[in-house]
Amino acid sequence: MPPSILYHCSCLSSSPHPPPPNLPSSSYSFHPLHTLFFCEECDAVRCNRCVSIEVSSYYCPNCLFEVPSASVRAEKNRCARNCFMCPNCRNTLSVVPSDPPDTGDSRLSMPISSLNEPPFFLYCNHCRWDSAEVGITFEKPTGLAAQLQKYEDSAPDSLEFERLKEHFEPFLRASSLSSTIGGNTTAHASSAAHSHHAHSNSITAAASAALARDIPGVSKYQPLTRTTSGRGGSGKDRSRNKDEMPEYRSRVEISKTSAYGGGEADVELMDHIETIGSIATLEQRWVNSWISPLQTKELKPLRIPLHSKRSKRCPSCTHILIKPEQKAQSVRYKIKLVAANYLPAITVALPHAQKAKAELAKKQLGKSTAAAVEDASISASNMHAGKTYAFHLALSNPLYDPIQVRLSAPRMNVSTAPVKDGSPEKARRPPFAISLPSSGFSVAAFAEAWEYEDDEDMFGVDDGDEFGMKGGRETDGRGKVRTVGVLERRANVTLVGGEVVIGKEARGDVKFNMLVSYTYRSDDPTPSESNDGDGPSSTSKSSSAANKQPEVKTFAFYTVVDLGHIIPRDEPRAETDF
Amino acid sequence: MPPIIRDKFTIHSKAIVCQDIEIRGDVTIGAGTIIHPKVTIFAIAGPIFIGNGCIIEEGAIIINRRKDVMRIGDDNLLEIGCRVECPEIGNFNTIATRSRVHHNVRISSFCVIGAGCLLAPTEDETLDDYTVVYGPSAELRTWSGRGKVQEADLRRKHAEYLKEMLPKFNRLRRGDGT
Repeated sequence: MPPSILYHCSCLSSSPHPPPPNLPSSSYSFHPLHTLFFCEECDAVRCNRCVSIEVSSYYCPNCLFEVPSASVRAEKNRCARNCFMCPNCRNTLSVVPSDPPDTGDSRLSMPISSLNEPPFFLYCNHCRWDSAEVGITFEKPTGLAAQLQKYEDSAPDSLEFERLKEHFEPFLRASSLSSTIGGNTTAHASSAAHSHHAHSNSITAAASAALARDIPGVSKYQPLTRTTSGRGGSGKDRSRNKDEMPEYRSRVEISKTSAYGGGEADVELMDHIETIGSIATLEQRWVNSWISPLQTKELKPLRIPLHSKRSKRCPSCTHILIKPEQKAQSVRYKIKLVAANYLPAITVALPHAQKAKAELAKKQLGKSTAAAVEDASISASNMHAGKTYAFHLALSNPLYDPIQVRLSAPRMNVSTAPVKDGSPEKARRPPFAISLPSSGFSVAAFAEAWEYEDDEDMFGVDDGDEFGMKGGRETDGRGKVRTVGVLERRANVTLVGGEVVIGKEARGDVKFNMLVSYTYRSDDPTPSESNDGDGPSSTSKSSSAANKQPEVKTFAFYTVVDLGHIIPRDEPRAETDF
Repeated sequence: MPPIIRDKFTIHSKAIVCQDIEIRGDVTIGAGTIIHPKVTIFAIAGPIFIGNGCIIEEGAIIINRRKDVMRIGDDNLLEIGCRVECPEIGNFNTIATRSRVHHNVRISSFCVIGAGCLLAPTEDETLDDYTVVYGPSAELRTWSGRGKVQEADLRRKHAEYLKEMLPKFNRLRRGDGT
């Protein structure tokens, strides 16, 4: 696994410190930078788990038609126009005319599109399924949904559903009046035709609800006895307890008919199947909404389900973080407060692994198996116990002002070693030590590519292959080879080196939390604030900065750096490769 | 070490063959066939016969490693990046983009090998007419044949268009010899 870095979102939790990264349960709170948002009001990082999401608009992924939210429900979350999905491969179906009658090859000059040969049918370009196999053909190439509507309405399941709705409707209405004032939206929706009974004035509605509430010992007061008529058995219903209702008799006895799944006919079918392909797969059956036919040849084309565009809000201050454009075709956003525009992007690299990978790539040039190269490079990038490795962090600044960054690795009391019997003390010692540049360093501002001057200050050698160096940190004494500190500054990227010393008995992954705090000049006239997640180092910095310039802001966030796997010393190498 | 491959190209005068192709061995190309640039046709061990009206697009690789003749029928469409090694292909097939067909498969007519599919069965297999191979796991199903007249028409129009446009922008290779 290549080295990676993930950012911590505290998700509104009280403690600013992230959980120790070695625990498997802590992976939920660390995210890659491109999935994070930043709220300007709260000055905090938000992740996908803590934002509140609401639907902005619905659209069909095929025709990109925006469906107004009101008709989404009526159309059962599917596209109402000519968009259908192949039941076989779930590709989009296109409407094609039938072949012209076979008169040989003399019809070359006539373009096909003017051949309006009914019957039209749906055709999948990918798997060549067509709807004529299930017997669905159309007379006109447009308005297919309407033409199919009568099929759908006469399907037994929707008829059954209509009957159920009619059966339950009076009881829903009655219970909606005796419940809270607003009434159940379900009752209102299902009794759309009867909604005129609802009180127009909220006061009278409140009064009637109060009158209709249950008083023990007294029979229920039904104010609507006068208005609803024509329901034969309803008078009897009302005198009883409202929980009882006449038994519902379904239109069709399910157990008797075998056409609706289950039953003897299915078993017969299974006994006589010839190819496994004639039975529909689970995926194909579940995507089909109501009746799931067992056989592949009975799968019908489905309308394409709608997709939605979502907008996201900050959970605490409810400011909008992400708001997409209303048009379905555009992928841009009206409001886009992503963390990548505020936080520096950090990438981690292990220079010794990169060198090994480059050498391997040269050796295997021309071979088509990329998997072998990857495996070998993975094993080369793993770290051995007992050695010291350098790693590079590249920070790139997204802001238009230069920033001052300070890194620190807070101490944590965990170990990666599995708990062996009889050695509880070993479990406490951290297996590796990190040395990071302790002083702050600056990263230049982001500017367009042509505005950068061409001076690259190289402070050190790029490939810090420091195998033999024990004793940790390298000071500035040796100007040529320096692993800890600022290595390079180019455009708006600063390359910083750090070092990790792996203990002899270490196992597992090298993962450590890193606190990154940076100060930048903000446009706000407010004085500098220290935010949640500040380490002790940055508070002192911000207070000193506050005295100097009133417009400097400090922000800090935690990250977890994962450098890779440790190869233990005593075990053979092949065992730990994954 | 490898046997010397003697180049012998028999290209019909009505075929449009671009110059920038890698073609080796004994290859015969029929009338009306269009071969785009950057195509690789290697008749290493045995000859290759390509029929009439085929369209072979860029990046296609046709290799014959067997001593027998490799026959490609009429009106086939070999799309970009495909790799074909099968000993026999019929008529009106479509071998889609980046698909690969192994040398132990024989394709009949009106078949479709979907994009990216790898058709490499463990033993010799013959695909019947109207077989469609699709999906990442190369599922097979049979086409009903509906719409084949329109598709044939489309292919002919495709070939005609290319016949007009390709010579305007590419150099053509004509005739026999190397």
